Amino acid sequence: MKKLKKLVPLSLACAAALALAGCGSGSSDGKTHLTFQIWDVAQRDGMQAICDAYTAQHPDVVIEVQVTSWNEYWTKLEAAAISNQMPDIFWMHTNEILKYADYGKIADLTDLYDETDPGYFQEHFSEVSLKNIQGSDGRYYGVPKDKDTVGLVYNKEMFDAANVPYPDENWTWDDLCEASQKIYDATGKYGYMAYGDDQLGYWNFVYQNGGYILAEDGVTGGFDNQATRDAMKFYIDLQKEEWCPDQNYFAETSPGTAFFSEQGAMFLEGNWNILSEMQNYPDMAGKWDVAVLPKCPNPAEGDGRATISNGLCYATSPENENLEIVKDVLRFFGSEEGQRIQGESGAAIPAYEGLEQTWIDVFDQFDYRLNVECFVDMFDYSEQSVNNKYRSVWKPEVTEILLSIYSGDRSFEDGMDAMQNALKEAAEDD
Amino acid sequence: MANVTAKTSKHAKSESRWAYIMVAPTVIGLLVLNIYPFLETIVMSFSKTRPFGLFELQGIENYLEMFTSAEFWRANLNTLYFCILTVPLGLFLSLVVAVMLNAKIKGRTFFRAVFFLPMVVAPAAVAMVWKWMFNTEYGIINTLFHSGISWITDPNVVMVTCAIVAIWSAIGYDAVLLLSGLQNISKSYYEAASLDGATKLQQFFYITLPMVSPTLFVVMIMRLMSSIKVYDLIYMLVEESNPALTKAQSLMYLFYRESFITGNRGLGSSVVIWTVAVIGLVTVVQFWGQKKWVNYEV
Repeated sequence: MKKLKKLVPLSLACAAALALAGCGSGSSDGKTHLTFQIWDVAQRDGMQAICDAYTAQHPDVVIEVQVTSWNEYWTKLEAAAISNQMPDIFWMHTNEILKYADYGKIADLTDLYDETDPGYFQEHFSEVSLKNIQGSDGRYYGVPKDKDTVGLVYNKEMFDAANVPYPDENWTWDDLCEASQKIYDATGKYGYMAYGDDQLGYWNFVYQNGGYILAEDGVTGGFDNQATRDAMKFYIDLQKEEWCPDQNYFAETSPGTAFFSEQGAMFLEGNWNILSEMQNYPDMAGKWDVAVLPKCPNPAEGDGRATISNGLCYATSPENENLEIVKDVLRFFGSEEGQRIQGESGAAIPAYEGLEQTWIDVFDQFDYRLNVECFVDMFDYSEQSVNNKYRSVWKPEVTEILLSIYSGDRSFEDGMDAMQNALKEAAEDD
Repeated sequence: MANVTAKTSKHAKSESRWAYIMVAPTVIGLLVLNIYPFLETIVMSFSKTRPFGLFELQGIENYLEMFTSAEFWRANLNTLYFCILTVPLGLFLSLVVAVMLNAKIKGRTFFRAVFFLPMVVAPAAVAMVWKWMFNTEYGIINTLFHSGISWITDPNVVMVTCAIVAIWSAIGYDAVLLLSGLQNISKSYYEAASLDGATKLQQFFYITLPMVSPTLFVVMIMRLMSSIKVYDLIYMLVEESNPALTKAQSLMYLFYRESFITGNRGLGSSVVIWTVAVIGLVTVVQFWGQKKWVNYEV
């Protein structure tokens, strides 16, 4: 076994030296100053509200919420982890949690609630939420923050124009295609816009059909599974229909842009975008609504229902010099009160079981009330977002292969084999 | 005599000490921010890299993987194609613009400002606006020419599109550099030439071109270097979901994807080292070639 060398770039050392001069916990006012790093500016007020609630009870703690854009967030956080300058509390995403947990860069929080209630995590968070905070060793490296699902967004005016009933929980893939055709015939607008995306696209269809992207062991790929292939074939071929734009169209115009400029009737959207879409497109209010995903009519396995569910968590560094105080803050973030404040702020559905209604109620502020309950209803059959520690390696490759199938450079079967191979090689390369 | 030498050398010593102190900030900056990372990149290119700056030396595996990858050669071809599209045409157009801006026309200062404007605007903003103009269905370019070209998503067209934007962005800057070269040419050459009955075209080829050639050479080196290093423009115009990505991926784009999306910094580093070698080679060839056409006599 070769010895791993630690690389500490000189520049970072300099930066650290400068930073040491500037901050540190020994502030002049005698309070503990903590930083809290997030990436979504839309959730800043909600996060600030939780911090305010905590500091009201603990006047000796000051928490500053900092927002960095999603793209910069991970570059910054990794550099901070190398130089041991991580923020005191930060959001963690399932894309990255395995990497940070496996390299010991985020603290093991499995026993966070042991003194008060050892079964706290299992009692108050769903199985999917808990999977989202686990490292490869199965221990908990974060406090669940929120959970999400994917739903079907549709344009009511176009359905009316084509005389098609709105989507409901009985809808199947066949209804989706039939409605798309009728809308296209009647209005000339696109129907369901099936673009080359995973979480907001084919993953949902694969799991509805009883297929899988990763097997139970978290390593073996599912692209050689017949149910997976059938669902992907169905999904990819949708772009051959006249009522669906092709991938070239989507490279220039995202389905969301097309939908809100009234070019298409349906697309898949995550619940985390709904509130900002209500606020950003006031002219569209009353013209659109949301529904549960249509189910697979003849699944190879299961009842044909599935939606991909992901979730963020709050994490901290094991090297944090105020670890005990930070853990107390995290305990509060995971408490019923902390989660309720988050739900009421509207940006996300609290991970805490039973608080889903707080997020739904936020939509009462609009004159036109969307059927957002459907996003919560889907938790009953939600699937955890596909993830393993090699994901950053295989995901870009799988996307590229998918594009080559769309463009016709590769046959469908070749593409599936190549995807399966990409997953296999990513794991072997470790 | 000996006394005098000692005095001057003492004086020179203290003077040179001050010189070192004065250049120290720049030199230290260079060492810490450029030289040290560059050396580290070389080490990384021979290492297997892991997250959080961990790596282990392993030998030439990264280079073997790079040279056997079709994607890498594709990126080389794409970069070469981009250079062929942008450098000669870009230089020619810049020279034309510079000559026109040097002529006595009305509102000359205004036009100079207009041509320089793209240089002041952030490249990301430039790419965003062009992307909308090139949109197949709603873009102003297809609307204006009643064409249906998929500027950004057709694999055969996408590089031309990138080249158009690149030339447009660079013309102003290059033209201003060339303009300064043009203004250094003494008027007496033109007076003498017109007395001898030389036409404007002859004056351009026999006076302007040779006299501006040193500046032209500098501009050419810079333009070629930045074309080989093209990244931000393509990144902004061609997204991950674009089927034409493989036909538009330049060397630096490949480096970015390997290093920051796939997280394989070792392979990313070897792509960078390769690019540095290519730029070095091309520049050496240019310096050798300049003897044949650059005129340094005034």
